[in-house]
Amino acid sequence: MKYTPRLPERNDNVSPASPIKELAVLAGGLLAAIVGIYLLLGIAVDIIVPRLSPAVEQRLAGPFLRTVSHFDDAAEGTRARVQRLLDRLQTDCAELPFPLQVHVKAGQTINALAFPGGHIVIFQGLLDEVASENELAFVLAHEMGHYIHRDHLRGIGRALVFITVSTLTLGPDSPVANVLGSALNLTEMRFSRAQETRADTFGLDALHCLYGHVGGSTDFFQKIPADQDPGRFGHYFASHPENRRRIDHLEEMTRARGYVSAPPIPFSSSE
Amino acid sequence: MIDLIIFLSLVALGFGAGTFVEKRHYRRIRTREAATIHLPITTTKQVDCLPETVQSVELVQGSAVISVDYFKRLLASLRNLFGGNVKSYESLIDRARREALLRMKEKAPQAHMIVNVRIETATVGRKANKKGVGCLEALAYGTAVTLKESA
Repeated sequence: MKYTPRLPERNDNVSPASPIKELAVLAGGLLAAIVGIYLLLGIAVDIIVPRLSPAVEQRLAGPFLRTVSHFDDAAEGTRARVQRLLDRLQTDCAELPFPLQVHVKAGQTINALAFPGGHIVIFQGLLDEVASENELAFVLAHEMGHYIHRDHLRGIGRALVFITVSTLTLGPDSPVANVLGSALNLTEMRFSRAQETRADTFGLDALHCLYGHVGGSTDFFQKIPADQDPGRFGHYFASHPENRRRIDHLEEMTRARGYVSAPPIPFSSSE
Repeated sequence: MIDLIIFLSLVALGFGAGTFVEKRHYRRIRTREAATIHLPITTTKQVDCLPETVQSVELVQGSAVISVDYFKRLLASLRNLFGGNVKSYESLIDRARREALLRMKEKAPQAHMIVNVRIETATVGRKANKKGVGCLEALAYGTAVTLKESA
């Protein structure tokens, strides 16, 4: 056996590919997959929201109920009065697939929130600002408008897909749904300009239906003082120009529909 | 943001230093392979030579530990998502094997051949922990056979 010393001409065990190119291909693929899933989830939200039955929506409230129950820390009398006003709106002027429930939260924030399952959370700060029952009715009807148009479900965003799937497969009290529910900060839910306008339109119609006039509908929007932090005012007063635009829209609608204005009924949060 | 800067710095460091070290290592491997090419190594267990011609036999072994750099690990972890050849680790294993064989040969400069050569690999360090530094050890061992001068 003869030994011929010779080194191999090329190395078959190491691929000659450029590592930078490989990184670009792999990272690009990963990025494309993430963007694709993000877009798909966005489309899925649009598909899911109109198809959720009221019964399923009630079950979706499960993960949020714990959060909502923390909110009932204001006087029960106040809550009951707001609830009575809401009930009148529901019975006479706005047909919702399920009854809405009001929760009042102590705090200076001037805002109201629409949680899944028909739970409206109103901050005490908002009730303190309200001078008339009509004003409050408009705020409530505005929130009801979000329910009718299902903005409160869209507002949850892409997480809605996971919450819906986990609720339908594992039930409303599954740990998965609870983790998802508590991770979401619905107090910072933002609605689009179109959604707010539709809710305002609905609110104005409901106000006219309840009182026969639309007095007090824009009062609430006039309340934002020039020197105050608009952030306190939640989604009613996103910014000054936006606020002005919404008042204009309401006034224009009032003219277009021939609604009349009359003095509103006074309201005080402390009886 | 600061996390991203640290991450990108580590990737750049891994790529720069890793490429430099690897090129330098390959240059040294090639030089030493050429220098030790007169010594045959084989996996066979039996050699055709008369027992009286053998002066000595001895166990020789060489081992090398090569570390993964940050860039290669990033590439490999991306590869873990998609599947396929982990090209970034191929050169590490190649270097470890060839370095181990070279060190083994350098243990027996006087021998006429090394027979029954085996290569084994092991991972060293916190391999189970993804954040740990992964190292690869290659161990080469064999029997160095030295024949008598007269043979």
